[in-house]
Amino acid sequence: MQPPTLWDWETGQKVVLASIERPENCAWVEEPTVSPDGERVAVLASLEAGGFTALVNGEPWENSFDKVWQPRFSPDGRFTAIVQRDGMWTVAVDGQPWEENFDYVWNTQFSARGDVVAACIQSGGEYGVCADGQPWENLFANGSQPTLTADGKSAALVVQTASLKPADLDAFQAGVFSVAVNGQAWDATFVNCWTPEFDAQGAHVAAQVRTTLYDYTIAVDGRIWSESYDCMWEPRFNPATGKVVAPVRAKGAWGLAQDGQIIWEPVFAQCWHQVISQDGRNIAAIVAPAFGEFTVAVNAKPWSIRFPEVTDLVIGRGGERVAALGNKENAEWRVLVDGRTWPGVWDMAWRPVIGPDGAHVAVKVEKNGRQSLLVDGRPYPREFDRLCDPVFSPDGAKLLIRAIDKGACVRIVADVAQA
Amino acid sequence: MGIQDRLIEDVGLRRGVSRLTPEKIETVVRSVMASEAGARLKAYSETCMRCGMCAKGCHFALSHPDDPSYTPAAKVAQTMGVLLKTGGRVDPGTFYGIAQLAYTECNLCKRCVHYCPIGIDTGFIMSMVRRICHKLGVTPQYIQDTAHSHSTTFNQMWVKDDEWIDTLQWQEDEARDEFPGLRIPLDKEGAEIYYSVIAPEPKFRTQLIYQAAAIFNAAGVDWTMPSQPGWDNSDMCMFTGDFEMMGRLKRRHFESA
Ligand code: SF4
Ligand code: SF4
Repeated sequence: MQPPTLWDWETGQKVVLASIERPENCAWVEEPTVSPDGERVAVLASLEAGGFTALVNGEPWENSFDKVWQPRFSPDGRFTAIVQRDGMWTVAVDGQPWEENFDYVWNTQFSARGDVVAACIQSGGEYGVCADGQPWENLFANGSQPTLTADGKSAALVVQTASLKPADLDAFQAGVFSVAVNGQAWDATFVNCWTPEFDAQGAHVAAQVRTTLYDYTIAVDGRIWSESYDCMWEPRFNPATGKVVAPVRAKGAWGLAQDGQIIWEPVFAQCWHQVISQDGRNIAAIVAPAFGEFTVAVNAKPWSIRFPEVTDLVIGRGGERVAALGNKENAEWRVLVDGRTWPGVWDMAWRPVIGPDGAHVAVKVEKNGRQSLLVDGRPYPREFDRLCDPVFSPDGAKLLIRAIDKGACVRIVADVAQA
Repeated sequence: MGIQDRLIEDVGLRRGVSRLTPEKIETVVRSVMASEAGARLKAYSETCMRCGMCAKGCHFALSHPDDPSYTPAAKVAQTMGVLLKTGGRVDPGTFYGIAQLAYTECNLCKRCVHYCPIGIDTGFIMSMVRRICHKLGVTPQYIQDTAHSHSTTFNQMWVKDDEWIDTLQWQEDEARDEFPGLRIPLDKEGAEIYYSVIAPEPKFRTQLIYQAAAIFNAAGVDWTMPSQPGWDNSDMCMFTGDFEMMGRLKRRHFESA
C-alpha cells in the first residue's frame, strides 16, 4: 500500500465489499477489520472443512491454519494475524507465515509507517520480541509491555532477569525486573518496571520504576532520576527537547515532573495521560482539580468545565488544539475541545482525531446503536452500523470515512468543509 | 485471651518485624495518622461505647462465641487502640501480634458497621492498620507474594501474558467440542459485556471460563474478554495496604474495559 499522500482522496463513495456476510464454505466469520486507507476489509473465518483463514475483500488467504487470532492491519495496509499450525505459533502477513515458529506469539506491533511487524514471543518458556521474523538472540524469564520505535528498528520490553522461587519476598524486593532493548537488558534492575517508552529518535527509553515497595521514579536508559515519589504514571519524551515528563504524586497530590524537577505543582487529586505538542511548547494532561471532578489542564491551567470522568486526551501536532471526552459513569459522553463542550450527548464516543494542521477535529460517536461522526462539532449527515476512526488527508482538507453499513463495507472521502 | 496468646509463625511477618524498632514504628504510625486517616480514626476511637452490638455481625466473633477478643471492638482495641494510645511507640513483638490480627482475624468485610448503632467502620480501621503494616514491611508471606504478582503481571497468581491468552484459547477449543461455533471473543471493540475473572480461574479452575463461555454462547450475548493484562478484577494490594499499587491495578482494569 502507498503512503497516505498517495491514497485515493477523490471526493465520493465506493463500495469496497458489497457483502461481509459469511460465505458458504465458512462456518462463521469474525468481526471485520478495515485497512487504514479503507481499501481493504478483512475477517478471520472458520472454514467448514476445518481450520481457519482470513478473507480480505472476500478473497481467502491461500493458507489456512489450525488457529488464527489478533487480526490487525499494519499502517502500510498489510493484513496480519497470529496463526498456529501443529501447535506452534507465528505471525502471518498477508497470509504468509514467518519462517520462525514459537511456543506462543501475541501483541502484534508496527512501526509508524508499517514496514516493520513485530510481536512478543515465548519460546521454551523464555520471552522476547520477534521483528519481521527475526527473534531476539537473548530471551528472558518473562517479558511484557512491548514497545517499538517509530522506525521499527528497536523494540523494548519489560523483562525479568532472574527466576523467582515461589513466594520469595526477599528476592523479589531485591529487584529482578529491567527493560531490555533489542534483547539487551539494562544493567540496573528494579522491583518493578512499567510502560517503557522510546524518544522520537528511538535512541533512549524511559520507564516507570519502583526501586523499593514505596519509592517510584523514572529510569532513562537504566539510570534513575535523583528524586523519587509516592506514586507516578507513564513517562513521555518531549519530542522537541528530549526531556522526560511524567505525572508524579508528592505530598498527597499530583503534578508533572520533568527530568526529576516539578514543572506542574502537585495540586491535583489526579493527573495523567499527558500529551505534548511536536514543538514541545504545550503540554496537556487529564487532571482532577477536586476529588471525582475531572477536566483537562493545558500548561498546568485547568479548563473550567468538569466531568466525573475525562478520557481520550489528544493534542494537535502544533499544540494549538486540545481535545478529549467527558462522560458520566460510561454514559452521557461529550466531546471537549479547547475548553468548550460540543453540543450533543452520546451513548459512546471515541478518541477525537485532530487534522494535521490543527484546523479541524473529527470524532466518532454512537447513539441508539448507530454510529456517526462529528466534524468540528457538526453531525455528519449520515449514520452507519459501524465506523472506523476517521482519517484526515495529509493536507487536512478531506476526511476518509470507513464504514460498515447494511452488510457492506464502504469508503467515503468527504470535503471537511462540507462534512 | 488475646492475639498475643495465639501467635503463629509466618515468614513474612517475622522478616518484617525483625527489621523494626519502636522508633520506626512510631514514625510510620504518626505519618499515616497525620496524612491519611487521623481525624476519622480519632472520632471512631472516641465514640465507641463498647456496647458489643457489632459482635453479632462478625463471623470471626460468631465462630468464637466464648472468646470476646474476636469481637470487632476488641480487635480494634488490640490493634489501632494500642497504636493510638501509645502514639505508635510499641515494641516489635507487640507489632507482630497487631499485624497478625489485622491480616488474619478480620477480612475487612464491613458487616459489623451495619450492626453498630453509631456506624463505626471496623473494616476501615483494620484496613488502616494494614496500611501501617504495609508501610513497615510487615505483611504475611503469601498475601505479600500475591501483591508482588499483581505489581508485575496485574494479576494475583503470576499468570504470564501468554499463559492467559493460551488458556482462553484452550478453553474455547474444549468448549467447541460441546458447543460447535462457540467463541471467546478477544478484545472485541464495542461489545456489550466485558467479562473479567480473577487469576485463580486461569490458574486452577479453567472450567469456570469454559462454563461462562457456554452460558454467554447459549444466551447469545455480545461479549468479550481482554487479551491484555488488566483482566484480573481482584486486588490483593488493597488487602495488603499497598494503596499506591491498588490505584495502579484499578486504573489498569478500568482502562482495559
Ligand atoms: S469487618 Fe472485620 S470485624 Fe467487621 S465483621 Fe468483617 S471481619 Fe468482623
Ligand atoms: S457496636 Fe459500635 S459502639 Fe458498639 S462496641 Fe461495636 S463498634 Fe463500639
